[in-house]
Amino acid sequence: MKTNFEDMNWRLELLGDHALVFSLEEKMSEEIIEKIMALKKNIEAFNFDFIKELIPSYHTLSLVYDINLFYENEIASKNNQSIIECGNAMLTAFNSAAVNIELANATEKNSSTAIEKIIRIPVCYDERFGIDLENIVSKNKISVDEIIKIHTEETYLVYCLGFLPGFAYMGKVNAAIQIARHASPRKEVMAGSVGIAGMQTGIYPMNSPGGWQIIGRTPLKIFDKTPTILGKLEAGNRIQFYPISFSEFEKLNEYK
Amino acid sequence: MAIKIIKNGIADTIQDIGRYGYQHLGIQANGYLDYQSASLANTILGNPRNSPVFEIHFPASSFCFTRNYTICISGANFVPVLNEKSIALHTPIEVKQNDTLQFLKPIEGRISYIAIQGKINEEPWLSSHSFFANSIQKDDQFEWEASSTISKKMVLGNENSINPIINEIHSHVFSTSPLHFIPGPVWKDLTHESQKAFLSTGYHIGMQANRMGYPLKGAVLQLSKPNQYLSAAVTRGTLQLLPNGELMVLMADHQTIGGYANLGQIILVDLPRLAQASHQTSFHFLETTIETAHKLYQQIEKKFIHRS
Repeated sequence: MKTNFEDMNWRLELLGDHALVFSLEEKMSEEIIEKIMALKKNIEAFNFDFIKELIPSYHTLSLVYDINLFYENEIASKNNQSIIECGNAMLTAFNSAAVNIELANATEKNSSTAIEKIIRIPVCYDERFGIDLENIVSKNKISVDEIIKIHTEETYLVYCLGFLPGFAYMGKVNAAIQIARHASPRKEVMAGSVGIAGMQTGIYPMNSPGGWQIIGRTPLKIFDKTPTILGKLEAGNRIQFYPISFSEFEKLNEYK
Repeated sequence: MAIKIIKNGIADTIQDIGRYGYQHLGIQANGYLDYQSASLANTILGNPRNSPVFEIHFPASSFCFTRNYTICISGANFVPVLNEKSIALHTPIEVKQNDTLQFLKPIEGRISYIAIQGKINEEPWLSSHSFFANSIQKDDQFEWEASSTISKKMVLGNENSINPIINEIHSHVFSTSPLHFIPGPVWKDLTHESQKAFLSTGYHIGMQANRMGYPLKGAVLQLSKPNQYLSAAVTRGTLQLLPNGELMVLMADHQTIGGYANLGQIILVDLPRLAQASHQTSFHFLETTIETAHKLYQQIEKKFIHRS
Protein backbone atom coordinates (compact mmCIF):
# COMPACT_ATOMS: atom_id res chain seq x y z
CA MET A 1 0.00 0.00 0.00
CA LYS A 2 1.40 3.35 -0.98
CA THR A 3 1.16 6.10 1.51
CA ASN A 4 2.40 9.51 0.73
CA PHE A 5 2.47 11.60 3.87
CA GLU A 6 3.54 14.70 2.01
CA ASP A 7 0.32 14.65 0.07
CA MET A 8 -1.51 15.01 3.32
CA ASN A 9 -2.39 18.60 3.96
CA TRP A 10 -2.43 19.03 7.69
CA ARG A 11 -4.13 22.05 9.12
CA LEU A 12 -3.40 23.29 12.61
CA GLU A 13 -5.87 25.52 14.42
CA LEU A 14 -6.58 26.77 17.89
CA LEU A 15 -9.49 25.15 19.66
CA GLY A 16 -10.00 27.89 22.20
CA ASP A 17 -7.32 28.73 24.76
CA HIS A 18 -6.43 25.24 25.99
CA ALA A 19 -6.54 22.96 22.95
CA LEU A 20 -5.18 22.67 19.43
CA VAL A 21 -6.65 20.70 16.59
CA PHE A 22 -4.70 19.01 13.82
CA SER A 23 -6.96 18.18 10.91
CA LEU A 24 -7.03 16.56 7.50
CA GLU A 25 -9.70 16.56 4.82
CA GLU A 26 -13.15 16.19 6.38
CA LYS A 27 -14.17 12.72 5.33
CA MET A 28 -14.54 9.21 6.68
CA SER A 29 -11.54 7.39 5.27
CA GLU A 30 -9.32 4.59 6.49
CA GLU A 31 -6.25 6.33 5.18
CA ILE A 32 -7.07 9.50 7.08
CA ILE A 33 -7.72 7.77 10.40
CA GLU A 34 -4.40 5.90 9.99
CA LYS A 35 -2.60 9.23 9.65
CA ILE A 36 -4.46 10.67 12.61
CA MET A 37 -3.44 7.69 14.75
CA ALA A 38 0.16 7.86 13.50
CA LEU A 39 0.37 11.55 14.47
CA LYS A 40 -1.10 10.72 17.87
CA LYS A 41 1.58 8.09 18.47
CA ASN A 42 4.29 10.45 17.31
CA ILE A 43 3.20 13.24 19.66
CA GLU A 44 2.79 10.82 22.57
CA ALA A 45 6.44 9.88 22.16
CA PHE A 46 7.48 13.45 23.12
CA ASN A 47 6.05 12.83 26.57
CA PHE A 48 5.30 16.49 27.09
CA ASP A 49 3.95 17.08 30.58
CA PHE A 50 1.64 19.86 29.41
CA ILE A 51 -0.35 17.57 27.09
CA LYS A 52 -3.45 16.41 28.95
CA GLU A 53 -5.28 14.63 26.14
CA LEU A 54 -4.85 13.53 22.53
CA ILE A 55 -8.32 12.82 21.18
CA PRO A 56 -8.76 11.38 17.69
CA SER A 57 -11.88 11.67 15.59
CA TYR A 58 -12.52 10.91 11.91
CA HIS A 59 -10.27 13.64 10.53
CA THR A 60 -9.01 15.52 13.57
CA LEU A 61 -6.64 15.05 16.46
CA SER A 62 -7.19 17.44 19.32
CA LEU A 63 -4.50 18.18 21.82
CA VAL A 64 -5.70 19.48 25.17
CA TYR A 65 -2.98 21.21 27.17
CA ASP A 66 -2.46 22.70 30.59
CA ILE A 67 -1.76 26.41 30.20
CA ASN A 68 0.42 26.67 33.33
CA LEU A 69 2.50 23.61 32.48
CA PHE A 70 2.98 24.79 28.91
CA TYR A 71 4.60 28.03 30.05
CA GLU A 72 6.65 26.18 32.65
CA ASN A 73 7.91 23.67 30.05
CA GLU A 74 11.61 24.20 29.41
CA ILE A 75 11.66 23.23 25.75
CA ALA A 76 8.72 25.39 24.87
CA SER A 77 9.86 28.40 26.88
CA LYS A 78 13.51 28.14 25.85
CA ASN A 79 12.49 28.49 22.22
CA ASN A 80 10.02 31.15 23.27
CA GLN A 81 7.33 29.28 21.46
CA SER A 82 3.65 29.94 21.36
CA ILE A 83 1.40 26.90 21.52
CA ILE A 84 0.76 27.18 17.78
CA GLU A 85 4.48 27.23 17.03
CA CYS A 86 4.86 24.26 19.28
CA GLY A 87 2.10 22.44 17.38
CA ASN A 88 3.75 23.28 14.08
CA ALA A 89 7.04 21.90 15.36
CA MET A 90 5.23 18.66 16.24
CA LEU A 91 3.84 18.46 12.70
CA THR A 92 7.26 19.09 11.17
CA ALA A 93 8.77 16.37 13.33
CA PHE A 94 5.98 14.03 12.34
CA ASN A 95 6.32 14.75 8.63
CA SER A 96 10.06 14.12 8.61
CA ALA A 97 9.60 10.94 10.65
CA ALA A 98 6.91 9.84 8.22
CA VAL A 99 9.18 10.43 5.23
CA ASN A 100 11.85 8.29 6.90
CA ILE A 101 9.39 5.50 7.49
CA GLU A 102 8.33 5.67 3.89
CA LEU A 103 11.93 5.51 2.64
CA ALA A 104 12.55 2.52 4.86
CA ASN A 105 9.45 0.84 3.52
CA ALA A 106 10.40 1.61 -0.07
CA THR A 107 13.86 0.09 0.26
CA GLU A 108 12.59 -2.95 2.07
CA LYS A 109 11.55 -5.47 -0.53
CA ASN A 110 8.60 -7.73 0.14
CA SER A 111 7.55 -5.54 3.01
CA SER A 112 4.79 -7.62 4.48
CA THR A 113 2.00 -5.76 6.14
CA ALA A 114 1.47 -6.81 9.71
CA ILE A 115 -1.62 -8.90 10.22
CA GLU A 116 -3.95 -6.80 12.26
CA LYS A 117 -5.67 -8.40 15.17
CA ILE A 118 -9.40 -8.52 14.62
CA ILE A 119 -11.60 -8.23 17.68
CA ARG A 120 -14.54 -10.60 17.27
CA ILE A 121 -17.81 -9.63 18.92
CA PRO A 122 -20.82 -11.97 19.20
CA VAL A 123 -24.21 -10.49 18.34
CA CYS A 124 -27.63 -12.03 18.78
CA TYR A 125 -29.82 -10.80 15.91
CA ASP A 126 -32.97 -12.29 17.46
CA GLU A 127 -36.05 -10.12 16.89
CA ARG A 128 -36.30 -9.61 20.67
CA PHE A 129 -33.10 -7.56 20.40
CA GLY A 130 -33.05 -6.48 16.74
CA ILE A 131 -36.03 -4.22 17.18
CA ASP A 132 -35.39 -2.21 14.01
CA LEU A 133 -34.52 -5.10 11.66
CA GLU A 134 -37.99 -4.81 10.15
CA ASN A 135 -37.31 -1.17 9.17
CA ILE A 136 -34.32 -2.25 7.11
CA VAL A 137 -36.25 -5.17 5.64
CA SER A 138 -39.01 -2.90 4.40
CA LYS A 139 -36.92 0.11 3.38
CA ASN A 140 -34.02 -1.75 1.76
CA LYS A 141 -36.00 -4.73 0.37
CA ILE A 142 -33.71 -7.27 1.97
CA SER A 143 -34.28 -10.29 4.22
CA VAL A 144 -33.20 -10.53 7.86
CA ASP A 145 -30.84 -13.39 6.98
CA GLU A 146 -29.17 -11.26 4.34
CA ILE A 147 -28.82 -8.34 6.76
CA ILE A 148 -27.08 -10.65 9.25
CA LYS A 149 -24.85 -12.12 6.55
CA ILE A 150 -23.82 -8.69 5.28
CA HIS A 151 -23.35 -7.18 8.74
CA THR A 152 -21.12 -10.06 9.87
CA GLU A 153 -19.01 -10.61 6.78
CA GLU A 154 -17.34 -7.21 6.82
CA THR A 155 -14.63 -6.11 9.21
CA TYR A 156 -15.13 -2.64 10.60
CA LEU A 157 -12.61 -0.01 11.51
CA VAL A 158 -13.09 1.93 14.74
CA TYR A 159 -12.86 5.56 13.60
CA CYS A 160 -13.27 7.18 16.98
CA LEU A 161 -15.02 6.95 20.33
CA GLY A 162 -17.48 9.43 21.73
CA PHE A 163 -21.14 10.14 22.44
CA LEU A 164 -20.93 7.78 25.44
CA PRO A 165 -17.93 6.30 27.27
CA GLY A 166 -16.77 3.37 25.16
CA PHE A 167 -19.11 4.13 22.25
CA ALA A 168 -17.13 3.30 19.08
CA TYR A 169 -18.07 4.73 15.72
CA MET A 170 -17.33 1.94 13.24
CA GLY A 171 -17.61 1.64 9.48
CA LYS A 172 -18.20 1.37 6.76
CA VAL A 173 -21.49 -0.44 6.58
CA ASN A 174 -22.38 -2.06 3.24
CA ALA A 175 -24.80 0.15 1.27
CA ALA A 176 -27.36 -2.69 1.13
CA ILE A 177 -28.04 -2.42 4.88
CA GLN A 178 -27.45 1.29 5.44
CA ILE A 179 -30.35 3.14 7.01
CA ALA A 180 -30.74 6.65 8.42
CA ARG A 181 -31.11 7.02 12.18
CA HIS A 182 -34.58 7.48 13.68
CA ALA A 183 -36.03 10.96 13.21
CA SER A 184 -36.45 11.23 16.96
CA PRO A 185 -34.29 9.17 19.30
CA ARG A 186 -35.66 6.40 21.54
CA LYS A 187 -35.87 7.29 25.21
CA GLU A 188 -33.85 4.23 26.12
CA VAL A 189 -31.68 1.86 24.12
CA MET A 190 -30.40 -1.09 26.13
CA ALA A 191 -26.72 -1.66 26.84
CA GLY A 192 -25.13 -4.00 24.30
CA SER A 193 -27.50 -2.96 21.51
CA VAL A 194 -25.87 -2.99 18.09
CA GLY A 195 -27.11 -0.33 15.70
CA ILE A 196 -26.69 1.21 12.29
CA ALA A 197 -26.73 4.90 11.38
CA GLY A 198 -26.00 5.56 7.73
CA MET A 199 -22.62 4.04 6.91
CA GLN A 200 -21.75 3.62 10.59
CA THR A 201 -22.33 0.79 13.03
CA GLY A 202 -21.87 0.85 16.78
CA ILE A 203 -22.64 -0.73 20.14
CA TYR A 204 -24.38 1.08 23.01
CA PRO A 205 -22.08 0.54 26.00
CA MET A 206 -24.83 1.42 28.50
CA ASN A 207 -28.54 2.11 28.61
CA SER A 208 -29.01 5.47 26.98
CA PRO A 209 -31.33 7.51 24.79
CA GLY A 210 -30.35 6.91 21.18
CA GLY A 211 -31.42 7.22 17.58
CA TRP A 212 -29.54 4.40 15.84
CA GLN A 213 -31.50 1.57 14.17
CA ILE A 214 -31.04 -1.45 16.41
CA ILE A 215 -30.35 -4.78 14.70
CA GLY A 216 -29.15 -6.97 17.56
CA ARG A 217 -27.42 -7.14 20.92
CA THR A 218 -24.05 -8.33 22.14
CA PRO A 219 -23.84 -10.19 25.46
CA LEU A 220 -20.37 -8.70 26.04
CA LYS A 221 -19.76 -5.68 28.23
CA ILE A 222 -18.29 -2.93 26.08
CA PHE A 223 -17.78 -0.44 28.86
CA ASP A 224 -17.32 -0.82 32.57
CA LYS A 225 -15.32 1.02 35.18
CA THR A 226 -12.92 -1.92 35.56
CA PRO A 227 -9.62 -1.32 33.76
CA THR A 228 -9.79 -4.54 31.71
CA ILE A 229 -13.04 -3.53 30.03
CA LEU A 230 -12.36 0.20 30.00
CA GLY A 231 -10.29 0.31 26.85
CA LYS A 232 -11.83 -2.63 25.01
CA LEU A 233 -12.24 -0.63 21.82
CA GLU A 234 -9.93 2.10 20.59
CA ALA A 235 -9.67 4.13 17.42
CA GLY A 236 -7.75 2.16 14.81
CA ASN A 237 -9.02 -1.26 16.03
CA ARG A 238 -10.65 -3.67 13.60
CA ILE A 239 -13.65 -5.61 14.68
CA GLN A 240 -15.91 -8.24 13.21
CA PHE A 241 -19.33 -9.35 14.43
CA TYR A 242 -20.44 -12.99 14.46
CA PRO A 243 -24.00 -14.22 14.93
CA ILE A 244 -25.10 -16.18 18.00
CA SER A 245 -28.44 -17.69 19.00
CA PHE A 246 -30.66 -16.47 21.80
CA SER A 247 -29.62 -19.35 24.05
CA GLU A 248 -25.93 -18.65 23.40
CA PHE A 249 -26.63 -15.01 24.23
CA GLU A 250 -28.09 -16.02 27.56
CA LYS A 251 -25.06 -18.16 28.34
CA LEU A 252 -22.59 -15.39 27.49
CA ASN A 253 -24.63 -12.53 28.96
CA GLU A 254 -22.33 -10.27 31.01
CA TYR A 255 -25.06 -7.77 31.84
CA LYS A 256 -26.86 -10.03 34.34
CA MET B 1 -14.88 9.42 60.32
CA ALA B 2 -17.40 10.47 57.74
CA ILE B 3 -19.71 12.98 56.22
CA LYS B 4 -23.21 11.67 55.82
CA ILE B 5 -25.92 12.78 53.41
CA ILE B 6 -29.19 13.15 55.30
CA LYS B 7 -31.13 14.59 52.36
CA ASN B 8 -30.03 14.55 48.75
CA GLY B 9 -30.23 17.47 46.36
CA ILE B 10 -30.95 17.14 42.65
CA ALA B 11 -27.54 17.14 41.04
CA ASP B 12 -24.89 17.25 43.76
CA THR B 13 -21.55 15.57 43.24
CA ILE B 14 -17.97 15.46 44.41
CA GLN B 15 -15.62 17.14 41.95
CA ASP B 16 -11.93 17.83 41.62
CA ILE B 17 -9.98 19.29 38.69
CA GLY B 18 -11.19 16.41 36.50
CA ARG B 19 -10.23 13.18 34.83
CA TYR B 20 -7.85 13.79 31.97
CA GLY B 21 -6.25 11.34 29.59
CA TYR B 22 -9.28 9.18 28.77
CA GLN B 23 -11.32 11.20 26.31
CA HIS B 24 -9.99 9.06 23.44
CA LEU B 25 -12.04 6.27 25.06
CA GLY B 26 -15.10 8.48 25.14
CA ILE B 27 -14.72 9.14 28.87
CA GLN B 28 -15.63 12.73 29.71
CA ALA B 29 -13.22 14.82 31.78
CA ASN B 30 -15.77 15.97 34.40
CA GLY B 31 -14.37 18.31 37.07
CA TYR B 32 -15.46 21.57 38.73
CA LEU B 33 -17.92 23.75 36.82
CA ASP B 34 -16.38 26.78 38.55
CA TYR B 35 -12.73 25.99 39.24
CA GLN B 36 -12.12 29.45 40.69
CA SER B 37 -14.64 29.18 43.53
CA ALA B 38 -13.58 25.59 44.25
CA SER B 39 -9.92 26.67 44.37
CA LEU B 40 -10.86 29.50 46.68
CA ALA B 41 -12.59 27.20 49.18
CA ASN B 42 -9.65 24.77 49.16
CA THR B 43 -7.06 27.52 49.38
CA ILE B 44 -8.76 29.20 52.33
CA LEU B 45 -8.44 25.90 54.21
CA GLY B 46 -4.85 25.31 53.14
CA ASN B 47 -5.83 22.28 51.05
CA PRO B 48 -4.10 21.66 47.72
CA ARG B 49 -6.02 23.80 45.22
CA ASN B 50 -7.39 20.97 43.14
CA SER B 51 -8.65 18.83 46.03
CA PRO B 52 -12.07 17.19 45.82
CA VAL B 53 -14.98 19.25 47.15
CA PHE B 54 -18.73 18.88 47.28
CA GLU B 55 -20.33 20.64 44.32
CA ILE B 56 -23.82 21.69 45.31
CA HIS B 57 -26.75 22.92 43.24
CA PHE B 58 -30.07 24.16 44.56
CA PRO B 59 -32.17 22.44 45.95
CA ALA B 60 -29.13 21.23 47.83
CA SER B 61 -28.19 18.17 49.85
CA SER B 62 -28.06 18.29 53.65
CA PHE B 63 -25.02 16.98 55.47
CA CYS B 64 -24.31 15.52 58.88
CA PHE B 65 -20.74 15.38 60.18
CA THR B 66 -19.86 12.34 62.24
CA ARG B 67 -16.73 13.96 63.64
CA ASN B 68 -15.11 17.40 63.94
CA TYR B 69 -13.96 19.06 60.75
CA THR B 70 -13.03 22.47 59.45
CA ILE B 71 -14.97 23.35 56.32
CA CYS B 72 -15.25 26.30 53.96
CA ILE B 73 -18.05 27.19 51.58
CA SER B 74 -17.42 29.28 48.46
CA GLY B 75 -19.17 29.97 45.18
CA ALA B 76 -22.91 30.47 45.18
CA ASN B 77 -24.69 31.77 48.26
CA PHE B 78 -27.49 29.33 49.13
CA VAL B 79 -27.71 30.63 52.72
CA PRO B 80 -25.80 27.84 54.48
CA VAL B 81 -26.89 27.08 58.05
CA LEU B 82 -25.11 24.93 60.60
CA ASN B 83 -27.58 23.53 63.12
CA GLU B 84 -30.00 26.12 61.76
CA LYS B 85 -27.64 29.02 62.48
CA SER B 86 -26.38 31.03 59.56
CA ILE B 87 -22.69 30.65 58.66
CA ALA B 88 -20.40 32.79 56.49
CA LEU B 89 -19.00 32.02 53.07
CA HIS B 90 -15.26 32.08 52.32
CA THR B 91 -14.48 31.46 55.98
CA PRO B 92 -13.10 28.41 57.79
CA ILE B 93 -15.91 27.02 59.92
CA GLU B 94 -15.37 24.50 62.70
CA VAL B 95 -18.02 21.82 62.70
CA LYS B 96 -18.53 19.34 65.53
CA GLN B 97 -19.67 15.78 65.59
CA ASN B 98 -23.39 15.49 64.71
CA ASP B 99 -23.63 19.05 63.39
CA THR B 100 -25.90 19.35 60.37
CA LEU B 101 -25.35 21.62 57.38
CA GLN B 102 -28.25 22.75 55.21
CA PHE B 103 -28.79 25.29 52.47
CA LEU B 104 -31.95 27.40 52.65
CA LYS B 105 -32.34 29.42 49.48
CA PRO B 106 -30.43 30.50 46.39
CA ILE B 107 -29.48 34.16 46.71
CA GLU B 108 -26.57 34.42 44.32
CA GLY B 109 -25.07 31.96 41.84
CA ARG B 110 -25.80 28.39 40.76
CA ILE B 111 -23.08 26.30 42.31
CA SER B 112 -21.79 26.21 45.85
CA TYR B 113 -18.60 24.41 46.91
CA ILE B 114 -17.94 22.82 50.28
CA ALA B 115 -14.28 22.13 50.94
CA ILE B 116 -13.27 19.96 53.90
CA GLN B 117 -9.89 20.55 55.49
CA GLY B 118 -7.83 17.40 55.01
CA LYS B 119 -8.03 14.58 52.55
CA ILE B 120 -10.80 12.51 51.05
CA ASN B 121 -10.43 8.87 51.99
CA GLU B 122 -12.07 7.28 48.96
CA GLU B 123 -10.54 5.41 46.03
CA PRO B 124 -10.17 7.64 42.96
CA TRP B 125 -11.26 6.27 39.59
CA LEU B 126 -8.81 6.94 36.75
CA SER B 127 -6.91 9.28 39.06
CA SER B 128 -9.85 11.55 39.84
CA HIS B 129 -12.50 11.77 42.53
CA SER B 130 -14.90 13.56 40.21
CA PHE B 131 -18.23 11.80 40.05
CA PHE B 132 -18.87 10.04 36.79
CA ALA B 133 -22.48 9.76 35.59
CA ASN B 134 -23.98 9.75 39.08
CA SER B 135 -24.89 12.09 41.90
CA ILE B 136 -24.93 12.14 45.68
CA GLN B 137 -27.75 10.08 47.21
CA LYS B 138 -29.40 10.11 50.61
CA ASP B 139 -27.51 7.99 53.17
CA ASP B 140 -24.26 8.14 51.19
CA GLN B 141 -21.24 8.44 53.45
CA PHE B 142 -17.92 9.94 52.47
CA GLU B 143 -14.78 9.25 54.42
CA TRP B 144 -12.70 12.33 54.99
CA GLU B 145 -9.50 12.43 56.98
CA ALA B 146 -9.26 15.70 58.83
CA SER B 147 -5.78 17.07 58.61
CA SER B 148 -3.99 17.84 61.83
CA THR B 149 -0.80 18.95 60.14
CA ILE B 150 -2.17 22.04 58.45
CA SER B 151 -1.12 25.08 60.41
CA LYS B 152 -3.49 27.92 61.05
CA LYS B 153 -1.09 30.16 59.14
CA MET B 154 -2.00 28.45 55.92
CA VAL B 155 -5.55 29.56 56.35
CA LEU B 156 -6.27 32.63 54.28
CA GLY B 157 -9.37 34.12 55.73
CA ASN B 158 -10.40 34.82 59.26
CA GLU B 159 -13.32 36.57 60.85
CA ASN B 160 -11.64 39.94 61.11
CA SER B 161 -9.96 40.37 57.78
CA ILE B 162 -11.18 39.31 54.43
CA ASN B 163 -8.25 38.61 52.26
CA PRO B 164 -8.29 40.65 49.02
CA ILE B 165 -8.16 37.46 46.94
CA ILE B 166 -11.63 36.54 48.12
CA ASN B 167 -13.09 39.78 46.83
CA GLU B 168 -11.11 39.61 43.63
CA ILE B 169 -12.20 36.07 42.80
CA HIS B 170 -15.75 36.72 43.89
CA SER B 171 -16.06 39.86 41.78
CA HIS B 172 -14.49 38.10 38.80
CA VAL B 173 -16.96 35.21 39.00
CA PHE B 174 -20.08 37.16 39.93
CA SER B 175 -20.00 39.92 37.36
CA THR B 176 -21.64 40.58 34.05
CA SER B 177 -18.40 41.31 32.20
CA PRO B 178 -18.34 40.05 28.61
CA LEU B 179 -17.48 36.43 27.92
CA HIS B 180 -14.33 36.29 25.81
CA PHE B 181 -14.24 33.73 23.03
CA ILE B 182 -11.80 32.59 20.36
CA PRO B 183 -13.54 31.99 17.01
CA GLY B 184 -13.73 28.37 15.87
CA PRO B 185 -13.85 26.62 12.50
CA VAL B 186 -17.43 27.57 11.62
CA TRP B 187 -17.34 31.23 12.73
CA LYS B 188 -16.48 32.38 9.21
CA ASP B 189 -19.48 30.46 7.82
CA LEU B 190 -21.98 32.55 9.81
CA THR B 191 -23.84 35.13 7.77
CA HIS B 192 -22.54 38.66 8.24
CA GLU B 193 -25.78 39.59 10.04
CA SER B 194 -25.42 36.62 12.39
CA GLN B 195 -21.83 37.51 13.27
CA LYS B 196 -23.00 41.03 14.04
CA ALA B 197 -25.97 39.82 16.06
CA PHE B 198 -23.80 37.46 18.08
CA LEU B 199 -21.34 40.21 18.95
CA SER B 200 -23.87 42.94 19.67
CA THR B 201 -26.83 41.35 21.45
CA GLY B 202 -27.10 39.92 24.93
CA TYR B 203 -27.47 36.22 25.71
CA HIS B 204 -28.76 34.54 28.81
CA ILE B 205 -28.80 30.96 30.04
CA GLY B 206 -31.85 28.93 29.05
CA MET B 207 -33.63 26.32 31.13
CA GLN B 208 -32.17 22.81 31.29
CA ALA B 209 -28.66 24.03 31.91
CA ASN B 210 -26.71 21.17 33.43
CA ARG B 211 -23.17 19.91 33.87
CA MET B 212 -23.05 18.73 30.23
CA GLY B 213 -24.05 22.01 28.64
CA TYR B 214 -25.72 25.37 29.05
CA PRO B 215 -28.20 26.40 26.34
CA LEU B 216 -28.08 30.12 25.51
CA LYS B 217 -31.06 32.27 24.59
CA GLY B 218 -30.62 35.33 22.42
CA ALA B 219 -30.31 36.16 18.74
CA VAL B 220 -30.87 33.08 16.57
CA LEU B 221 -27.95 32.59 14.18
CA GLN B 222 -27.68 31.38 10.61
CA LEU B 223 -24.93 29.86 8.51
CA SER B 224 -24.39 31.25 5.03
CA LYS B 225 -24.06 27.67 3.81
CA PRO B 226 -25.79 25.08 5.97
CA ASN B 227 -23.56 22.09 6.38
CA GLN B 228 -23.22 18.66 7.92
CA TYR B 229 -20.10 18.10 9.96
CA LEU B 230 -18.28 14.93 10.86
CA SER B 231 -17.95 14.62 14.63
CA ALA B 232 -14.79 16.39 15.67
CA ALA B 233 -12.93 17.81 18.61
CA VAL B 234 -14.76 19.94 21.16
CA THR B 235 -13.66 21.29 24.54
CA ARG B 236 -15.08 22.78 27.65
CA GLY B 237 -16.42 26.16 26.51
CA THR B 238 -17.22 25.14 22.92
CA LEU B 239 -20.06 27.21 21.47
CA GLN B 240 -22.14 24.83 19.38
CA LEU B 241 -24.65 26.16 16.91
CA LEU B 242 -27.60 23.76 16.92
CA PRO B 243 -29.65 23.10 13.76
CA ASN B 244 -32.44 25.36 15.09
CA GLY B 245 -30.08 28.35 15.26
CA GLU B 246 -29.71 28.28 19.05
CA LEU B 247 -26.48 28.01 20.96
CA MET B 248 -25.19 25.46 23.45
CA VAL B 249 -22.05 25.96 25.53
CA LEU B 250 -20.33 22.70 26.44
CA MET B 251 -19.54 22.43 30.14
CA ALA B 252 -17.59 20.04 32.40
CA ASP B 253 -19.42 16.79 31.51
CA HIS B 254 -19.47 17.44 27.76
CA GLN B 255 -19.16 14.63 25.24
CA THR B 256 -15.66 14.01 24.00
CA ILE B 257 -16.42 14.76 20.34
CA GLY B 258 -19.31 16.62 18.76
CA GLY B 259 -20.95 16.97 15.38
CA TYR B 260 -22.58 20.39 15.64
CA ALA B 261 -21.17 23.54 14.09
CA ASN B 262 -18.33 24.87 16.25
CA LEU B 263 -18.54 28.68 16.39
CA GLY B 264 -15.76 29.10 18.90
CA GLN B 265 -14.74 28.48 22.47
CA ILE B 266 -15.28 30.63 25.53
CA ILE B 267 -11.94 31.02 27.25
CA LEU B 268 -11.25 29.01 30.43
CA VAL B 269 -10.98 31.95 32.77
CA ASP B 270 -14.49 33.17 31.89
CA LEU B 271 -16.28 29.81 32.22
CA PRO B 272 -16.85 30.10 35.99
CA ARG B 273 -18.72 33.34 35.35
CA LEU B 274 -21.03 31.64 32.87
CA ALA B 275 -21.35 28.59 35.14
CA GLN B 276 -22.63 30.74 38.03
CA ALA B 277 -24.93 33.09 36.10
CA SER B 278 -28.66 33.24 36.74
CA HIS B 279 -31.29 32.96 34.02
CA GLN B 280 -31.77 36.72 34.23
CA THR B 281 -28.12 37.65 33.67
CA SER B 282 -27.46 38.96 30.20
CA PHE B 283 -23.99 38.44 28.73
CA HIS B 284 -22.22 39.94 25.77
CA PHE B 285 -19.54 38.13 23.82
CA LEU B 286 -16.18 39.63 23.01
CA GLU B 287 -13.78 38.16 20.47
CA THR B 288 -10.28 37.72 21.82
CA THR B 289 -6.89 36.22 21.00
CA ILE B 290 -4.99 33.34 22.54
CA GLU B 291 -2.41 35.79 23.93
CA THR B 292 -5.07 37.74 25.82
CA ALA B 293 -6.79 34.54 26.94
CA HIS B 294 -3.58 33.17 28.43
CA LYS B 295 -2.76 36.50 30.07
CA LEU B 296 -6.20 36.66 31.70
CA TYR B 297 -5.89 33.04 32.81
CA GLN B 298 -2.52 33.64 34.40
CA GLN B 299 -3.74 36.76 36.21
CA ILE B 300 -6.19 34.59 38.13
CA GLU B 301 -3.59 31.82 38.57
CA LYS B 302 -1.18 34.28 40.21
CA LYS B 303 -3.69 34.98 42.94
CA PHE B 304 -3.52 31.36 44.02
CA ILE B 305 0.20 30.79 43.64
CA HIS B 306 2.17 30.36 46.88
CA ARG B 307 -1.07 30.03 48.72
CA SER B 308 -1.63 26.40 47.88
